[in-house]
Amino acid sequence: MAALRQIAFYGKGGIGKSTTSQNTLAALAEMGQKILIVGCDPKADSTRLILHAKAQDTVLSLAAEAGSVEDLELEDVMKVGYRDIRCVESGGPEPGVGCAGRGVITSINFLEENGAYDGADYVSYDVLGDVVCGGFAMPIRENKAQEIYIVMSGEMMAMYAANNISKGVLKYANSGGVRLGGLVCNERQTDKELELAEALAGMLGTKLIHFVPRDNIVQHAELRRMTVLEYAPESKQAEEYRQLAQKIHANAGNGTIPTPITMDQLEDLLMDFGIMKKEDESVIGKAAAVA
Amino acid sequence: MSQNAEKVLDHFKLFREPEYKEMFARKKEEFEYAVPAEALQHTIEWTKTEDYKEKNFAREALTVNPAKACQPLGAVFAANGFEGTLPFVHGSQGCVAYYRSHFSRHFKEPTSCVSSSMTEDAAVFGGLNNMIDGLANAYSLYKPKMIAVSTTCMAEVIGDDLNAFIKTSREKGSIPNEFDVPFAHTPAFVGSHITGYDNALLGVVKYFWDGKAGMAPALERKPNKSVNFIGGFDGYVVGNNREIRRIFNEFGIKYTMLCDPSDAWDTPTDGEFRMYDGGTTLEDTANAIHAKATIVMQTISTEKTAAFIESKGQEVVRLHHPVGVAGTDHLLMELSRITGKEIPESLTKERGRLVDAIADSSAHIHGKKFALYGDPDTMLGLTAFLLELGAEPVTVLSTNGDNDWAAKVQALFDASPFGTNCKVYPKKDLWHLRSLLFTEPVDFLIGNTFGKYLDRDTNTPLIRIGFPIFDRHHKHRYPVWGYQGGLNVLVTILDKIFDTMDADTNGIGTTDYSFDIIR
Amino acid sequence: MSVTAESRVNAAELIEEVLKAYPEKSAKRRAKHLTVQEEGKSDCDVKSNIKSLPGVMTIRGCAYAGSKGVVWGPIKDMIHISHGPVGCGQYSWASRRNYYIGTTGIDSYGTMQFTSDFQEKDIVFGGDKKLEKIIDEIDVLFPLNKGISIQSECPIGLIGDDIEAVAKKKAKQYEGKTIVPVRCEGFRGVSQSLGHHIANDTIRDFVFDKTDPTKNAFVGTPYDVAIIGDYNIGGDAWSSRILLEEMGLRVIAQWSGDGSIAELENTPKAKLNILHCYRSMNYISRHMEEKYGIPWVEYNFFGPSKIEESLRKIASFFDDSIKEKTEQVILKYQALTNAVIAKYKPRLQGKKVMLFVGGLRPRHVIGAYEDLGMEVVGTGYEFGHNDDYQRTTHYVKDGTLIYDDVTGYEFEKFVEAIQPDLVGSGVKEKYVFQKMGVPFRQMHSWDYSGPYHGYDGFAIFARDMDMAINNPVWALTKTPWKKAA
Repeated sequence: MAALRQIAFYGKGGIGKSTTSQNTLAALAEMGQKILIVGCDPKADSTRLILHAKAQDTVLSLAAEAGSVEDLELEDVMKVGYRDIRCVESGGPEPGVGCAGRGVITSINFLEENGAYDGADYVSYDVLGDVVCGGFAMPIRENKAQEIYIVMSGEMMAMYAANNISKGVLKYANSGGVRLGGLVCNERQTDKELELAEALAGMLGTKLIHFVPRDNIVQHAELRRMTVLEYAPESKQAEEYRQLAQKIHANAGNGTIPTPITMDQLEDLLMDFGIMKKEDESVIGKAAAVA
Repeated sequence: MSQNAEKVLDHFKLFREPEYKEMFARKKEEFEYAVPAEALQHTIEWTKTEDYKEKNFAREALTVNPAKACQPLGAVFAANGFEGTLPFVHGSQGCVAYYRSHFSRHFKEPTSCVSSSMTEDAAVFGGLNNMIDGLANAYSLYKPKMIAVSTTCMAEVIGDDLNAFIKTSREKGSIPNEFDVPFAHTPAFVGSHITGYDNALLGVVKYFWDGKAGMAPALERKPNKSVNFIGGFDGYVVGNNREIRRIFNEFGIKYTMLCDPSDAWDTPTDGEFRMYDGGTTLEDTANAIHAKATIVMQTISTEKTAAFIESKGQEVVRLHHPVGVAGTDHLLMELSRITGKEIPESLTKERGRLVDAIADSSAHIHGKKFALYGDPDTMLGLTAFLLELGAEPVTVLSTNGDNDWAAKVQALFDASPFGTNCKVYPKKDLWHLRSLLFTEPVDFLIGNTFGKYLDRDTNTPLIRIGFPIFDRHHKHRYPVWGYQGGLNVLVTILDKIFDTMDADTNGIGTTDYSFDIIR
Repeated sequence: MSVTAESRVNAAELIEEVLKAYPEKSAKRRAKHLTVQEEGKSDCDVKSNIKSLPGVMTIRGCAYAGSKGVVWGPIKDMIHISHGPVGCGQYSWASRRNYYIGTTGIDSYGTMQFTSDFQEKDIVFGGDKKLEKIIDEIDVLFPLNKGISIQSECPIGLIGDDIEAVAKKKAKQYEGKTIVPVRCEGFRGVSQSLGHHIANDTIRDFVFDKTDPTKNAFVGTPYDVAIIGDYNIGGDAWSSRILLEEMGLRVIAQWSGDGSIAELENTPKAKLNILHCYRSMNYISRHMEEKYGIPWVEYNFFGPSKIEESLRKIASFFDDSIKEKTEQVILKYQALTNAVIAKYKPRLQGKKVMLFVGGLRPRHVIGAYEDLGMEVVGTGYEFGHNDDYQRTTHYVKDGTLIYDDVTGYEFEKFVEAIQPDLVGSGVKEKYVFQKMGVPFRQMHSWDYSGPYHGYDGFAIFARDMDMAINNPVWALTKTPWKKAA
């Protein structure tokens, strides 16, 4: 048996991270890989397309009911979905209260201690938005995910987030073994998106693993709480995800230590591609009516 | 004025003098707007009722007077058991001041431990710099052989990563590359001090056996005939560990005591302050992987460590703080079975002497009702001993004992005719116990120093056995394990029984017919 | 060279020597906290109230210790919830010896430990709901309590709990009950000190500002004073109060040893606030001066010289009848004082003392030692500020070693080199020095003795110092068959 591959998908909120990750993992399962998904987003929707339902029994909600995590059994929280993909959602508090980051730590410790990873080829962590605190960095610490895939698009904020996540990876890359596996561009149909994504990947010292074109079939599948792989296995989009899955499968050991860039460099990049216009310094901070 | 240079009155007597008593009355009357005497008396009586007990037991959120502490305290205990080891707690500094004071008040000994002194900025940016500077300073000043790192809840909430931080500190030159720094995450909001002991001990053992956090190849177990001994979090560690050593030596068994703070917390006063003394050597710690078996004296206090050791292929003998004849018999027979050595005649004789002592005194203990509280393993050991003495452990309570523990206590009750009317209370505190002592009165209470408030409120004489003991001296120097330890526990219980008996029969011309000189 | 000049040079060399053990960066920073007193300097010339270095074994505690442990904890008829994990409340449970009179568990709660015992789920999901429930349960089980304070531990501030909102909601629900949210998380500030300040501010905001002035039927007199900053350790406030009453004053409140919420509420009606521990309660004294026009005066009730000086200073705020009685009080205790000094001074004359304590004692007790013919040769504050060191210059002699936020290493080396006859510090230090054969007294808890304040206390102080220094055990520490190295 090959060594367990631990990967994680990060990216700005709303970028299509969960969709991309679940479709890709479904494709990996199609290739015969045994998959475990660990959702690390308090919204608990990282496994919805695999399970055809939003996971109700998250680790943290059950632990809160039972009194503590020690009172939980693995079977209580582990659900099996499409192509025997095993799914666990960490869960967490409602927005504005408590500490979701600590929730991630709690859940991952629980899964490790209870042997959730036994027999899996892939463990995939799906992590909320940015690496905002130590808790959300948990999956990229040593002995957790070794390869990070950043889902992004040609939008400025998505690229900004990708750069920030790279900083998080860099922080742990030297002390632990985590590497940046690459960028996955989820097409938003912005100008020169592919070129921009490739250029950003280059600057970050990584590569664009795959450019996933936009296709409405993804939304259709989502309405039925399915991956495209399951909803329309013959579709062109399903093929895109298969390609992405194969590239990731072949990417073992090819990860790099990222080279995050400064805000100025990022702005220069956007200007080079004409996304941002070179502004006269004097207009910065002035409202449209004034400028 | 009552004060006098010849016979100085301090707080014990000074405030009983009339000028002070009058002053207290004035203060209360004029300025405190105190509760009227009638309402006070009414409430005092109400707290003794079934009704109050019911409301008290309906508590879901509030904890009052718990009998447990938090994880890092146990981590400091564990770290202190290794040769030349400085405990280092990553997080807020006030916590470390508390652990040091707590141990010093119990052992009447210094307890060295440093903090990474994280403050508000570290809460925002993480405590990496505190780790880098902290390790450098601690290493330079205190020249330890090893620094064992654990965490306060602050570092745990913000999610600091010890492994990565320590590695970075090495890279930055805070400590030499080959210097040993085992670590453990010890969140205060999970478990109790015994969980922290377990996590920290596991941290040390894992560090040495599994390749020093990636700095060395993992050790491969080559079984030998040695036996490991792990005591668990133990307030009697000074007396107990020495007694256990003696037992092993009587057997002639080669052994390693994994985590042994018995010298660190019992240094001589001879003009020299020893920051470090004794402890398990780092070499022995590493070599302990090869042992034939490990004796775990307090299983609940050592759960994860025991499982880890077992996963390496060693047999683990799990005990629950054995006290008394049967408990010690079991320990010795297991030692004999594992090593193939016969139980030495000297110990057999000691056994007979303990049985002899019990036989001499049992009339005074037989049928006496006890309430006891403390750490879960300790409760199992003491409950078994009380049943063995023919006493009734009517109420057994633990704040950090869970339902699994309660089932084990119940099993002890079920196996003895003296356990019929006994009840176990997991996850309860000393305010619960206060109600129980009123509604289900007992003859004696067994617990730590904080039990003195229960003694005062419910008039149940307290026998001090447990941790911490702040208000009696040197108890930690005497073992409670082995046949000798059993004898110490027996005598501790008997002394209180006899003292209580005398105090109850000394009414001149009223009760002193029973004020016997021979008991 | 004069004796002091010589000792000054030696002490300066000692500091230099000790600093060598630190890494360079840390040595530089610690150097600013260590000095030798030079006559004429106005503030001892040390840096203070800044962050302790990580890993050096600071003796300091945290803001929670300053608020729950020092300021709020002794208010006896309120319930103080240690809000967060179980440890903080457990380690600080009844260990400061803030004596009080009351029925514990019924109308007083000083030696109890109320905790929300946070579990992982409380961290992840927030603890506000649990806190609400705790307040409800307190109402059922402790119906005679006169108020509640919420003492925040580290996680509260990190997970963003809104304890102020909970306090407000519950205060309303329980018809104006005093419920005080205190943001004294241990990571705030650099020591206990910020906790004192935060706690002072919450008394202002949640007691003074929220109390209906007619709540307590209180009739004032021109002689009303409040004792501020006496925590009644071993009964200190009592042996102080008795003197104030004897000089004709009426003590309407004790802050906070043996204190009650009503006393806090009525303090703005005092004519004078007398302040013992300046460090922990100057904030509220200043506030009362600004808002209610109450003057405040610092005093020192350690040792007859300082007591006498302080009594007269306090009397100077009042009319001649008080001043007259004050002289009578001084006269009344003269015989006791003389007898104490006659008995103990010959045994203690010339003995050298090194101190390291908290708020006021590093300077306040110097006079008491001097009354016994002893000499303080080194002193420092755990959490003092610059204004404390300014005040210290009036007490210490030229050549005294000054060490702010001393580390375990420094303290050991200083004592080793100076070889004082007595060290006064805390329980963490006690056994270190006793092992070294140096007599020691705990100067936080009075080593389970006390009171030390007032004339009655001075007799106990003298007895205790004598029993520490002249304990025959110190003659036994050297093993007779071992040759000196």
